Amino acid sequence: MTGGTGPALQAGRAVRAEWTKLRTLPSTAWLLLALAAVTVAVGAAVTGAVDTSHCVTPAGCREDTPKLALSGVRLGQVAAVVLGVVAVGGEYATGTISVTLAAVPRRWAVLAAKAAVVAGAVAVAGTAGVLGSLAAGRGILSGNGFTAANGYPPLSPLDGPTARAAAGTVLYLVLVALLALGAGTALRDQAGAVTAVLGALWLVPLVAGMVGDDAWRDRLDKYAPMSAGLAVQATRELDRLPIGPWAGLGVLAAYAAAALLAGAAVLAARDA
Amino acid sequence: MEATIEVRGLRKRFGSTVAVDDLSFTVGPGRVTGFVGPNGAGKSTTMRMIMGLDRPDAGAALVGGRPYRSLRTPLCRLGAMLDASAVHPARRARDHLRWLAHANGLPARRVDEVIEQAGLGSAARRRAGGFSLGMRQRLGIAAALLGDPPVLMFDEPVNGLDPEGIAWIRGLLRSLAAEGRAVLVSSHLMSELEGGADHLLVIGRGRLIADTRVEDLLAAASDGRVELRTERRREAMTVLARAGATVTTSGSDALIVTGPTAERVIELLTGEGVAFSGISAHRASLEEAYMELTKDALEFQAVAGGEAR
Amino acid sequence: MTAPAPPAPPSYRSTVAGEARDGFGRLLLAEWTKLRTVPRWTLTLLAAVVLMVAVAMLSASDSGSSGPEEKRSPTAQLQIIDLGHYTYLPLAGDGSVVARVTSQDGGGAWAKAGLMIRGSAERGAPYAALAVTPGHGVRMLTGYRRDGAGGGTATAPQWLRLTRAGAAVTGYASADGRAWRRVGSVRVDGLRGRALAGMFVAAPDEVEVRRVFGGEIISGKPGDTTATFDNVAVSPPAPDAAWLDRGGPGGPAADPALDGSTRSGGTFTLKGTGDIGPDEFAPDVTKATLAGAMIGQAAIVALAVLFMTAEYRRGTLRTTFAASPRRGRVLAAKAVVVGLASLAAGLVAAFASVLLARPLLESGGIAPPPVSDPAVLRAVVGTAALLAVLAVFALAVAVIVRRSAVAIAAVLLVLLVPEITATGLPVAAARWVERVTPAAGFAIQQTVTRYDAAIGPWAGLGVLCAYTAAALAAAAWLLRRRDA
Repeated sequence: MTGGTGPALQAGRAVRAEWTKLRTLPSTAWLLLALAAVTVAVGAAVTGAVDTSHCVTPAGCREDTPKLALSGVRLGQVAAVVLGVVAVGGEYATGTISVTLAAVPRRWAVLAAKAAVVAGAVAVAGTAGVLGSLAAGRGILSGNGFTAANGYPPLSPLDGPTARAAAGTVLYLVLVALLALGAGTALRDQAGAVTAVLGALWLVPLVAGMVGDDAWRDRLDKYAPMSAGLAVQATRELDRLPIGPWAGLGVLAAYAAAALLAGAAVLAARDA
Repeated sequence: MEATIEVRGLRKRFGSTVAVDDLSFTVGPGRVTGFVGPNGAGKSTTMRMIMGLDRPDAGAALVGGRPYRSLRTPLCRLGAMLDASAVHPARRARDHLRWLAHANGLPARRVDEVIEQAGLGSAARRRAGGFSLGMRQRLGIAAALLGDPPVLMFDEPVNGLDPEGIAWIRGLLRSLAAEGRAVLVSSHLMSELEGGADHLLVIGRGRLIADTRVEDLLAAASDGRVELRTERRREAMTVLARAGATVTTSGSDALIVTGPTAERVIELLTGEGVAFSGISAHRASLEEAYMELTKDALEFQAVAGGEAR
Repeated sequence: MTAPAPPAPPSYRSTVAGEARDGFGRLLLAEWTKLRTVPRWTLTLLAAVVLMVAVAMLSASDSGSSGPEEKRSPTAQLQIIDLGHYTYLPLAGDGSVVARVTSQDGGGAWAKAGLMIRGSAERGAPYAALAVTPGHGVRMLTGYRRDGAGGGTATAPQWLRLTRAGAAVTGYASADGRAWRRVGSVRVDGLRGRALAGMFVAAPDEVEVRRVFGGEIISGKPGDTTATFDNVAVSPPAPDAAWLDRGGPGGPAADPALDGSTRSGGTFTLKGTGDIGPDEFAPDVTKATLAGAMIGQAAIVALAVLFMTAEYRRGTLRTTFAASPRRGRVLAAKAVVVGLASLAAGLVAAFASVLLARPLLESGGIAPPPVSDPAVLRAVVGTAALLAVLAVFALAVAVIVRRSAVAIAAVLLVLLVPEITATGLPVAAARWVERVTPAAGFAIQQTVTRYDAAIGPWAGLGVLCAYTAAALAAAAWLLRRRDA
């Protein structure tokens, strides 16, 4: 511990330390690979299964092709969740957390550094997955009748709405990983955190489907983390969405922030 | 014989690391056998192989003449404490012992008996997560004693304990051995076994360095070397060599004699009329004898580091 | 180092070895003690029950508030459809009806033209029918069940004969009206005394799939069919009786081009729309009530995974194997214990869901089928069995991957794949996913055969069991092979 003690330097050291820890976990590389691979593979499979045969006319389908191509994140996000939970849960499980807190006494800084590292890693893998999905979708869609002539221009990440969907999807994955990190810190238990986060993402929309009451279903669609967050993938018929694209991502960001705050509070209250 | 552990040609490698290399020994009843070696020497691995937890690459280990994995109620054949922290923290100590008893169909009274024997007392009703290290060791020992086994095995049982706890465990081990049980206790510090073990297995780099009674080792260390000062070196060397001693020169007037005791050297030299100006017997402590034995293994430790597993 | 061997001390013998017992039952007791003594785990089981019942209540109470309910028709309550066209004479007691189907046109491979004896003209009345189909041969039909018995490749023209003796009705078919072949015999509960005998036509709904806005809209359109009959005879003949018609429910407004019968000499032409059989678009009330299992499974999966990974994490697996060196048996005992615990929780949750949701559904105008109904009982008990198998599956995956976070995520992923990917997938692809993933096990909750059923109830549970068996075999192999 030589050199300056300015806050910027300290923060930089904390981030570097966290990056080294995450990088040297053997599971990290696998999870990041799974994040990109599952996103691309599932997206390609879903896109490949859809064609215009059941449409009144190909244009009449009003298929949201960028959203279709990016649908792999619904499954791929599981890797981001596990990564977020393992990044901190692994330290609780092995007791390394005491060492970590001793090395960086300001505890919220530990969580912030972890969040920065996890967000960075997921952003890189998520970008790879999103670009791969769009590339795969571009090849598959035209073969299934979604051609420019039918009103479906080839997917391009430079196209305005598609760019929003792509960037928004990467942000979605980052926020999901941060939500998992916060939950993992707050619950201090990997199994509980994974179950809780996946339950919030996957099961709440299912409950929404079972609810008959329209007002409640609407509320659940608006405020469930996955359905709200993935509103950002829509590129057409935006008025049909339960919540606007960026507003939906904002809902997810609020959940992630709340989880991280809860995690920081638990970390601060804990005896190291 | 019930109360024995026999290890024959045991070998185990983890990746490119040889953890245990052609290890053979026997642990007999009625005594405390210390299993000593530096960290990473292969003690824990050997114990796990004896219990059938790790699969040896070659060789075999027998408990009371049978492979551990073939035992039907193994808790009545061998009791072991490998890792005192291996308890679910949310489970009460008593419940931990209870499921273990169920697994071998042991009567429920045994749970109360070993709680008493290990001095757990009312702590048995508490959840294990809140236990101190000392209480965890007592719980581990209670678990080992559950089946009242003729063979007991403890991996580093006094590691991290206060002197009072060390004394308690030492007394317990002695009393268990006195009942005719075979007790194998591992440690990386010879000093922990001082006054506790009757027999020693010294292991380094996965190999057996010594298999000896403690008194023999001390004797061997004591009469190991005699330093002799004399003007008449040639005569002295001839006399001593004829008596079967190994003699080397050291400096201008000193000889190092290995083999006979100092008394015997004096007797031989006096008998032949060889004058000498000084003689001193080098009396090594158990610790020193052990350090000498494990010199190679310590070098290994410096290179590889850590506990191999 | 050859010290003189000390006199061999007397070897100690365990004082309790004589009382010790080895056995699978003891192992079960040990594993059950482990499960029961971690309070968090028993709470998780309780959470699974509470979640399932809560979801059942939620869906039941909301279905009631979704609008004013008129009294439902008996066919809707029975979740059957009884349409088509029926032209009949009274049949006082035992007797028979014979006719030749000379032609059949439209309605698809499952269009039906043939003879029917039924208790009354009321919809939902008991019946027995013999029909020729364009694609599935001659079929003996009863009880508003699908498909019926029989088969072959026979098509119109075809002679058919239906004879009644009490409640027993037997069907015969013939190509030439001389050499008769017995197709089958059914017992029609509720067929006593006066009955009706005559000809009928029916055709199943055509399922229409339309894709729009990234989703699919599925609708059923009644199919229409036409058939001609001659050589019609009902014996014993009823004096002064005239042929009567029962058409579609449209009454006088029914389209005569699609529904009705005409007679010219001895030749009858019947036109009809709709089918006689199960209502494939009927809501599956029991399944909806038990849908909480989808939510409750998260708790069951977490528990089953932790039951194994906690042993790895805390190091107690070594203690376990020290006490029970036969590892396959330990795994089996763990599977039985976690499976039975989940089964018990599932039984409580499923019965509570169905029984507690019942008054809520009834107040909303829906009459759920009774628990004693075989299909409902299968769904309720099957839900518990489903959770039990899920738990064993999760346990096996936990042995394979050894990490709780990864195991829970992986198991929930494969169980929820159809639900997560369903939005956006075409129906055909979604059904395929539901058939081949472990989530097929949820098919056991079906109580009516719907158009969108991917797989039968038992076959679906079988798929999950097959995955579980494979995972368990892999887990046992790894457990034996790996160092503990």
